[in-house]
Amino acid sequence: MNIYEHTCILSQNLNPKDLKDIRTKIETIIEKNQGKIEKVEDWGLRNLAYPIKKFKKGYYSNIFFSGSGTAVFELEKFERIDENVLRFLTFKVKEVPKENSELCLKEENK
Amino acid sequence: MIRKNFKKTKKKTNSNLMLFQKPAIKFKRECPLSGKNAPIINYKNIKLLQKYISETGKMLPSRITSVSYSKQKELSSEIKKARILALLPFTND
Repeated sequence: MNIYEHTCILSQNLNPKDLKDIRTKIETIIEKNQGKIEKVEDWGLRNLAYPIKKFKKGYYSNIFFSGSGTAVFELEKFERIDENVLRFLTFKVKEVPKENSELCLKEENK
Repeated sequence: MIRKNFKKTKKKTNSNLMLFQKPAIKFKRECPLSGKNAPIINYKNIKLLQKYISETGKMLPSRITSVSYSKQKELSSEIKKARILALLPFTND
């Protein structure tokens, strides 16, 4: 069992309803493959440093989960096909941080 | 006694050759990222990473920033992660 950190950028054109659908789908894929979600962070709409697929903004979301490599394989397989996912990155982490990161939205702004 | 005299004479010769001697005060800077209260290097900490990037978006060499060898390796890998996720630019014209 390893701990993974996964961040992905979703396109700007999505409705708030479609945004939730994709985020819940990502979580169900992890849980189907015997993974366990440890922490979820929402970074909100951010400016991109350079345009990706002609988009200048994107919704960021960050997930910590523990599981095996097959969960990562299935997740990335789904994200490569989906057009609304602009970018993603997964890598191993030793520990899950207790505090939220600086990029995370505060509850007042939500 | 002979030794003491010897020391005194040596000092005088040093003062004559000040130009060719090493300076008394050493200009040695410590690594800003290692030590007790050093900040944690992470790709989410964009403000810290931006200090080690030039105006055009290139990484600065460690001989300018005086970051230690092991920490420079960490920095470069974290900057590359931030670039993939479009938090930092690859180039900035």
